[in-house]
Amino acid sequence: MASRPLRKSDARVVRFPTSLRSVDSRRDPAESPELWLGAHVVSLNAAATLEKLATRAQKYTPRVSLVPPDGSLLEVKGSLHLFNGVDGLLLAFREDCRALGIDCAVALAPTPLAAMVAARIGEPFVVTNKAQLVGRLTSMPLAPLRWPEDVVDRLARMGVRTIGQTLRLPRAGFARRFGPAHLAELDRLTGRNADLRRHFQPRERFRRRRELTYEMENNTTILAALAPVLSDLGKFLETRQVGITELECRLRHRHAAPSVCVLRLAAPLANVPRLTELLAERLNALVLPEPVRSLELRSGLPVLRELSCNPLWQPGEYGGSAAGSESSQLVERLRARLGHEAVYGLQTLQGHRPERAWSMCEPPVATSASGTTSRREPGGPGPQVASARGPLSLRPAAPWAAFRRPLWLLPTPQQLEELDGVPRRRGTLRFFGDVERIETGWWDGGEIGRDYYTVFDIHGVQLWIFRERANPHRWFLHGVFG
Amino acid sequence: MAFNPELARLLEHPAIWRGTSVARTEVLSSGFSTLDERLPGGGWPRSGLIEILASRFGVGALTLLLPVLAALTSAPMARTSVWVAPPFEPFAPALAAHRVDLEHVLVVRVPAALRSGALWAFEQSLGSGACDLVMAWAKQPRSKEIRRLQLAAERGRALGVLFRPLQARRESSHAALRIAIEPSAYGVRINLLKSKGGVRGTVEVDLGEAARNLTPAGS
Repeated sequence: MASRPLRKSDARVVRFPTSLRSVDSRRDPAESPELWLGAHVVSLNAAATLEKLATRAQKYTPRVSLVPPDGSLLEVKGSLHLFNGVDGLLLAFREDCRALGIDCAVALAPTPLAAMVAARIGEPFVVTNKAQLVGRLTSMPLAPLRWPEDVVDRLARMGVRTIGQTLRLPRAGFARRFGPAHLAELDRLTGRNADLRRHFQPRERFRRRRELTYEMENNTTILAALAPVLSDLGKFLETRQVGITELECRLRHRHAAPSVCVLRLAAPLANVPRLTELLAERLNALVLPEPVRSLELRSGLPVLRELSCNPLWQPGEYGGSAAGSESSQLVERLRARLGHEAVYGLQTLQGHRPERAWSMCEPPVATSASGTTSRREPGGPGPQVASARGPLSLRPAAPWAAFRRPLWLLPTPQQLEELDGVPRRRGTLRFFGDVERIETGWWDGGEIGRDYYTVFDIHGVQLWIFRERANPHRWFLHGVFG
Repeated sequence: MAFNPELARLLEHPAIWRGTSVARTEVLSSGFSTLDERLPGGGWPRSGLIEILASRFGVGALTLLLPVLAALTSAPMARTSVWVAPPFEPFAPALAAHRVDLEHVLVVRVPAALRSGALWAFEQSLGSGACDLVMAWAKQPRSKEIRRLQLAAERGRALGVLFRPLQARRESSHAALRIAIEPSAYGVRINLLKSKGGVRGTVEVDLGEAARNLTPAGS
């Protein structure tokens, strides 16, 4: 039923078997465990399109191998049922070839070499049963095997012009005259020996360049010129079911060094409209020294994507949608405009030196996908379980329970003026509470020896100041109690 | 007072807003009993924008918010609490000692070159739906921008806190709650400049109260 419109529609592009039903022997016990689809590319620039085709073919099976310079093989036995059997699969494959603008002939056979040979001939060839294979191969010429010229010539002088005639030659004599390699190839052709193929690995990173027909200065037109490249990126990511966390856009100029803007994402993303939106944000912030001559997009390593699921509740409703996609989107949006380093989380570190008791860390939402599950595990009513939190967040607080710490820390201590050895800051300071000595860090070069005091200034602001233990005993402001 | 029961039931309707009662809005306890008594509904609003005008940096504006920050970050299903353009570094050990869960704390720095970047980041965070609490130290926001912030906070169901200098008390504002804070002998004196559905006036707050309620950490 499906075969008729296929043959009619585009017979030139894909030479297509006419009688699919006759050989479709689904319930045959002699059915082969493998079924190979051979695709012979007949386009002008076969080598360049081959990788494109193999990449696209990942949709059908992960077992795709290249047969340079112009062939590609797919093991499709396992995926036949996903495409409605042989007819459906061939129809879908042909559609894909046409979308890529590739002319290719296809054939189906139980062994890879047979599929490839049959595809090179270009005749309709669909054999799913191993028992029928040799019978269908016999009439084929030797040329598609692509043996060396002199071997084919010598065989021709012996009157051997088809594969069938070659198979009928005595094996020992054939191996002696033409080499064991060719005998082994014949064995692989008929399925007598296993044919192991190296699987094609899709290109790991996306990288595409576009030369512009004229120079561009305007951000909007540059973004429009990037659109096809971005859509290529979308297809690239969809094929692999991955997302990217880093995308670099290079804009080349006539003289100046290329302008680069790098997009870093909190969570793997494969959504082209979102990427475009973020890239637009970055491009707006970019100052171009000269008009742009060419564009290039490079992706970072692809990361397996977590598929999003929409929460039942609205954000904030019943505490719903915690650390969902909104938070990573927020981080990305803020970073796109303010810069990557501008957005960070906080963590405490073990140690007594105030400067080294905390550090910046990646925003907590970057690990939201795994974080939420681990946080929920201990069960709703007991959120006070220590292990439910990060191990760092509560423990280091214990040794300091006796001493208050300021809520604000100055990035670097600020020296205070003195009057007769007593510190001043916009007036006299009133001392309050105990002194705390912090003297540590001799082992790593960051040694400090300080006496910390809590003081009030004349405006009633509580400050955290220290006096150096070593000469010249200067006073510094180090923190403000908020 | 003798009430007509029919009328009383009618007045229960959430769409009817009567002067001093905003009991229908969701609130968060501020952690200070004297302040809770005076705030409309008995605490900070769950969503909306509040303005805290401080006479000077460091008089206790942040300490005033610590209990609610701790409660929001350590709640189950907590969302992020964002600090937009804080003047210094928030000191993580002190926050942890006050039971703030740092896993939900996000700091946003705004490059000095970017004009009005802080307000943009503030509005984005408020409206994103990913935040429980957003605190911002912005320079001279205009009245129109504050209106946008208030709307964004309602959209994202977040509590926005804008810290401003005391000089801004003369300007009009769309914030749901405006308080001025200055140091006093006990702790801080809080002047409720504007409180939608509450009463205005002054209240003394002992800032040590929340810290004393805290059981020693790590035990």
